[in-house]
Amino acid sequence: MDRKAGTDGPPGDSGVAGRAADIRAGDSAALARAITGLENDAPAAHALLDALRDRIGRAHVVGITGVPSAGKSTLINALLGVYAARGRRVAVAAVDPSSPVSGGAVLGDRIRMSEAGAADSVFIRSLAARGHGGGLARTTRHVVDLLDAAGFDVVIVETVGAGQSDVDIAALADTTVVVCPPGLGDDIQAIKAGILEIADLLVVNKADIAHADRTERELGEMLHLRARREGWSVRVLRTVATTGDGVAALVDAMAAHAAAVGVGRRARGRGDGVDAAPPVPIGERLRGLAGRDAYIAHNGIELVESGEGTAVVRLRIEAQHLNFNGNCHGGAVFTLADSAFGLASNSRGVIAAGIDAHITFQVAVRAGDVLTARATELSLSRKLAIYRVDVTRQDGAVVSCFTGTVYVTTRAHAASLA
Amino acid sequence: MAVRPKVLITKIGLDGHDRGSRIVAAHLRDAGMEVVYTPPWQELAAVVKLALEEDVDVIGLSSLATDHLIVPKLMTKLRAAGLGDVAVIVGGIVPDEDEKALLDAGVARVFHPGAPLESISAFVRDAALRVRAARFPAQEA
Amino acid sequence: MNQPLQEPVPASIEDAQIRWRADYDARIGMDRQVNNRSGIPIKPLYTPLDVDAARFDADVGFPGQAPYTRGIYPTMHRGRTWTQRQLVGLGTPAAYNERLRDILGQGATAVSLIPCNSVFRGYDMDEVDEELLGTCGVVANTADHMATCLDGVDLARTSCAMNDPSPFTLLAFMLATARRRGVDWRAISGTSNQSDYLSHFVANHMFFRIALPGARRILTDHIAWCAAHVPRWNALSVVGQHMQQAGATPAEAMAFALCSAIQFADDCVAAGMSPDEFLPRFTFFFDISLSFFEEIAKFRAGRRIWARLTRARYGARDPRSSRFKFHAQTSGVDLTRQQPLNNIARVTAQAIAGIFGGLQSMHTDAYDEALSCPTQFGARIAVATQNILREEAHLTDVIDPLGGSYYVEALTNEMEERIAAVMASVEASGGMYRAVESGMVQRLIGASAQRHQEAIESGAQTVVGVNAYQVDEDAQSRPALARPYPAQIGAHLREFADWKAQRSSGTVAAALDDLARSAGAQGGDNIFGRVVEAAAVGCTHGEICGTLRRELGFGRPLALV
Repeated sequence: MDRKAGTDGPPGDSGVAGRAADIRAGDSAALARAITGLENDAPAAHALLDALRDRIGRAHVVGITGVPSAGKSTLINALLGVYAARGRRVAVAAVDPSSPVSGGAVLGDRIRMSEAGAADSVFIRSLAARGHGGGLARTTRHVVDLLDAAGFDVVIVETVGAGQSDVDIAALADTTVVVCPPGLGDDIQAIKAGILEIADLLVVNKADIAHADRTERELGEMLHLRARREGWSVRVLRTVATTGDGVAALVDAMAAHAAAVGVGRRARGRGDGVDAAPPVPIGERLRGLAGRDAYIAHNGIELVESGEGTAVVRLRIEAQHLNFNGNCHGGAVFTLADSAFGLASNSRGVIAAGIDAHITFQVAVRAGDVLTARATELSLSRKLAIYRVDVTRQDGAVVSCFTGTVYVTTRAHAASLA
Repeated sequence: MAVRPKVLITKIGLDGHDRGSRIVAAHLRDAGMEVVYTPPWQELAAVVKLALEEDVDVIGLSSLATDHLIVPKLMTKLRAAGLGDVAVIVGGIVPDEDEKALLDAGVARVFHPGAPLESISAFVRDAALRVRAARFPAQEA
Repeated sequence: MNQPLQEPVPASIEDAQIRWRADYDARIGMDRQVNNRSGIPIKPLYTPLDVDAARFDADVGFPGQAPYTRGIYPTMHRGRTWTQRQLVGLGTPAAYNERLRDILGQGATAVSLIPCNSVFRGYDMDEVDEELLGTCGVVANTADHMATCLDGVDLARTSCAMNDPSPFTLLAFMLATARRRGVDWRAISGTSNQSDYLSHFVANHMFFRIALPGARRILTDHIAWCAAHVPRWNALSVVGQHMQQAGATPAEAMAFALCSAIQFADDCVAAGMSPDEFLPRFTFFFDISLSFFEEIAKFRAGRRIWARLTRARYGARDPRSSRFKFHAQTSGVDLTRQQPLNNIARVTAQAIAGIFGGLQSMHTDAYDEALSCPTQFGARIAVATQNILREEAHLTDVIDPLGGSYYVEALTNEMEERIAAVMASVEASGGMYRAVESGMVQRLIGASAQRHQEAIESGAQTVVGVNAYQVDEDAQSRPALARPYPAQIGAHLREFADWKAQRSSGTVAAALDDLARSAGAQGGDNIFGRVVEAAAVGCTHGEICGTLRRELGFGRPLALV
């Protein structure tokens, strides 16, 4: 059944409109092929998504994240069973990591091992992260839109499961469920600034084994330190995914959350939940921050442009920045990118603390080169914001791509800066 | 963007010896492909649903007992689901007499024990590129 | 007992060794690194300096005496050779019986039965694709089928081994057959081969699809029930073979098997059994790869570890509890499709390693296993191979003929260390059950399989006909295909349907209800006892398995790459 790129046509036709009609009509094959198109930047893929725009924003998007071996897949299996029993149509997008070396990936298919996964009302798609950080694939957001448009009541997104860095999901999902295995113990303290902060619901899975009580108590204590938000107070639930205990209650809690905060959050845009920006011009604020930053000064980095959620900094590479090979030291490039990241993320006057960053090094840089780092905001939610920093050389060559995530507090910068 | 082949590695039928399928799956990943891997004992209907939803280019079936005997049934079901263009390969212990029957049923290739992994990944890559080019003709250039 | 193995080592032996080493290095230049499959570096020469003569009593000793390094019986193969046990199974019960009689007539001394993969998976013949029925084993779903399989076999005198994973319906069918023939269950001997559910789960080999906790309960019940009712039956066969076939190194396979045995023994103790009650009926099942000396050392080390741990950990006093009885099968993974007749040579070398390793029972693979399920012709050669080794080659004249070899003793020690290290890591992760449940064991095995494959692909490990010495093949060397006649299977299916229709459905339903209750949450009955009762009144294999799956949950394989 070849499907050719085209522009128009009735249902069953190979044009964009025809394919959109197929997807509206619940044709799984058309949906699957469209996802492949998105993943591979096929020419008509986004046109197809646009043709379905009116259908987007209805599904309840649930993010499931948590450390590896927390039992995410098993829990999703159990969720599928409950949803099936309630007559709900569910799509799952499961993201797996790609190998940084070969680019290949093994998309483990544990979710499909259940009878629930075989049901007609369930559609499961694996997505390789393809080097994208944050626990999702680059195209996950669009894939979710497509699944939403295809009419599924619930779209479940399972993150890579790398733990602390799987934070992109909070900007995408209406309801973010963080799964914790019991016995996390001291680790809870270590990761609370990251993944636990994005939770709308915390689930202690494998609640039948030792330490579950303690884990539940510790998570509960941690929640007391957090403010209520959007009329929703974060809850801790217990499940035993292998037997199904507590799973129906989890589904109820997820529905209650959706009722409280609404669905389609990813389309509502940015900025909700962050306190209003203080009335200080951004350029002035960022110059102030840069001026107070000893490391920026030490390295000779200059701020050349600023705006809400963005910053551009520049550095001329000198002998002091070179490594033993005579090339620019990677740490210098990272410092430059991190400076742009830090300034951009703090541009709104509240303290944003970096919790995760990744960088690539693509071309060599030598003494005398001038590097420019431009930070742009990819997403901003109540607690987390994600930035991309592109570092370029004076000749336009892309030196590095940097991505970073900050935890956005509600505290303003020290008064002298405001 | 370069085409990244997407391959399903699975086992149908009754046998569970999965050493070979695991090694092949790991090799294809290391060769840069995206591999959907399942444990053994998949039902034919489940394989078809999986291949359809994942939109794979190639299906690799491992058979060490006699499970290849139901591959023709799978081929029929794939065609019925509109997946006749997916390249299906079989690896494992397949007697010569049966190999011909599998090829007649539409299987693209049978790999026997001792086949170098590189020969498998090369074949899979070529097959995947052909399938993908037919599905997304605009990407050919 | 106390006389030393060798004369005291002369002071000059170190000097002689240094001189040899200098000569060796001068001639060979850069020596190549040789590791065995377990990763142990192998030296070019072993000398008295590699063994501690003072530890002879403690580590080597005599056959039939702890630590049993040289064999578990005083006579070993000089007294009674191993049991020649060829796995047989093809097609219908009648076809199986015909083949069984042929093999017994060729010199096999015990019965062995492989069921069809549909049976392994827990299904009756009418629940699976017809094309697959009987292609790898006999389609036996009822006590009547078993009676046909074993027609003409004296059950009181012939040791019977069944490849019969949990819940052991084949044994139940055999016991029903015995009762009908008036054979006392106390006279019945044999083994529930591969009753080790952990090994099935690890290697995904014919895994039974009852979830691990249920499989664990059934095995413990099976051991307890057999100890009480079929005292000569080996209820437990701990399997290292699956792991090694799946890619574990010989040392890992031995370590995992010993850890599994510890898990099962702990479970029996927890169920209130005393070690000397169940340990004498523990048996083991291993793979014999082509790594000749490594396999011999593996078996010698395994015997020694088992002898020590049964005493130290369980306080076993009955010497039978500490005897490491094992069946071994030549490795199918080492066989090649290319130049299949070469496999006869491979199987021969593997079998010799097993014999020198002191096995109690052996299956030699047919040369055509890498091509298809074995043909009758291939099976006959496999049996003949054992006959030749046993009676022509003078391999059995001397007990543990390699004992005292500097290399073999040193390698035995090193394998023991390597095995102990793997066992320690399993213990540290909470024992074998937990290590399997979490996938740790599977990951270790996957990594080892990958390394072995890379060694073959790179040519570091020669495989004749595959990566070296390839020849243009003569199609004539390929054996004809063995496949059951579709007509026979069709008739078998129809008879089964008729038979089911004529059964007393009330009796069957009542027996399955009792079985379900015994497995249920408030059960307290011995589950296997209920399986035996259900089998006797006409419940089928699939019905028994289905009932237990409903009560105890489906087992799901782990997907690990």
